[in-house]
Amino acid sequence: MSYRWDFTPVLASSALLAEGLVNTLKVTGVALACGLVIGLALALMRLSRHQLASWPAGFVIEVFRTTPPLVQLFWFFFALPLIVGIEMTPFMAAAVTFSIQSAAFFAEVFRAGIQSIERGQWDGARAIGMTNAQAMQRIILPQAVKRMIPAFMERAIELMKTTTLVATISYADLLFAANEVSQKSFRPLETYTVVALIYFVVIFAASQLSRLLELRLARSGESTVH
Amino acid sequence: MKWDFASVFANTDALLVGAAGTLRIFAICLVLGLSLGLVVGLGRYARNQWLHWPATAFVEFFRNTPVLVQILWFYFALPILLPFSISPLAAAALGISLNSAAFSAEIYRGGIQSIEPGQWDGARALGMSWGQAMRRIILPQALKRMTPALTNRAIEIFKMSTLASVVAYVELLQQGKLIASLNYNPIEAYTAVAVIFFVFLWPLVQFTYLLERRLGRSE
Repeated sequence: MSYRWDFTPVLASSALLAEGLVNTLKVTGVALACGLVIGLALALMRLSRHQLASWPAGFVIEVFRTTPPLVQLFWFFFALPLIVGIEMTPFMAAAVTFSIQSAAFFAEVFRAGIQSIERGQWDGARAIGMTNAQAMQRIILPQAVKRMIPAFMERAIELMKTTTLVATISYADLLFAANEVSQKSFRPLETYTVVALIYFVVIFAASQLSRLLELRLARSGESTVH
Repeated sequence: MKWDFASVFANTDALLVGAAGTLRIFAICLVLGLSLGLVVGLGRYARNQWLHWPATAFVEFFRNTPVLVQILWFYFALPILLPFSISPLAAAALGISLNSAAFSAEIYRGGIQSIEPGQWDGARALGMSWGQAMRRIILPQALKRMTPALTNRAIEIFKMSTLASVVAYVELLQQGKLIASLNYNPIEAYTAVAVIFFVFLWPLVQFTYLLERRLGRSE
């Protein structure tokens, strides 16, 4: 092959790429944290017997699970600011979109986890005089969360991969940095290869960690939900 | 704020062109992704190290990198190594198909492994070769168990097809962008695109739920 690989322009931009990686982790972390909190709220609403709580939660979950993430991101970035009349930075749009989107997925994980707990646990909690909320908080959720860990990890990894979409609305994540380096250096082959490898290293490490946790949970005899 | 969908309805033609583009890339990636996935899945299942390791490397690489990075790699990086350029459709279809192949390979492998060893023994007792047993006994039973997971994959492929708009392939989202910028109506244009995707995908999602429930009852 006659092509001569030259990684020096990519190495020269390592500061830019590092900054991009930090921004990728930032948006992933924010969406993960908000997604877990909103996801738990959505799950509790959906499991509620009140139609006024369960229907809206079901609607949000269905809409965000059945539309493409990129369409959601564009909607929040280009359409929502005109409706509510506030400026949205790319970071805000990305954080809001991915928080609600992962909340919709987490809600189903929470629901499966809560429903997987045996009825006897509820009966026991009630027998010692706990209210529903106390039973959920002290008895059901702590057991359910343990079973959900692998599913949460899997979703967190999916989320990190999905955050590459923010590059399309000019948020300076790792992929956006790659586009910039590639255009400046005229070295797309080297740039995209290096960036793919960076993603691979980070995501592969997270996947292995998740696999390890799942194995450990399985060894301790804990069942898991997906 | 007044919603005005007239400017979207006036562009129905453009949206139809986009829908055709979405369906085209979806069909290509569905067929390529799921069939290549079976080949890779069989490779992962094989005891032969020369089949097992390349298949494993393929699966790990494509599962652990973002599909958008894969598409951009095929669009911007790969042509440098080739004597010809790559169209937006080809780049997006390559990225999405290979990514889906890696994910579906694990579904096939899991499905095949879930079949009891007794089925293999029975097939062998009847004098079947490995290939015959796989084709006539194992795969038909495994496919039934895999159907919900494979349908879920199909839904993911449909959603991923929007990423083709990043390399300017003409599909629904790309047409939505065009309509929004020509008519200054991002609210209506992007809402319409979201609704169209929801209408396409919702029945598929409900179908998957139904399959899962059915299978849960019968197995």
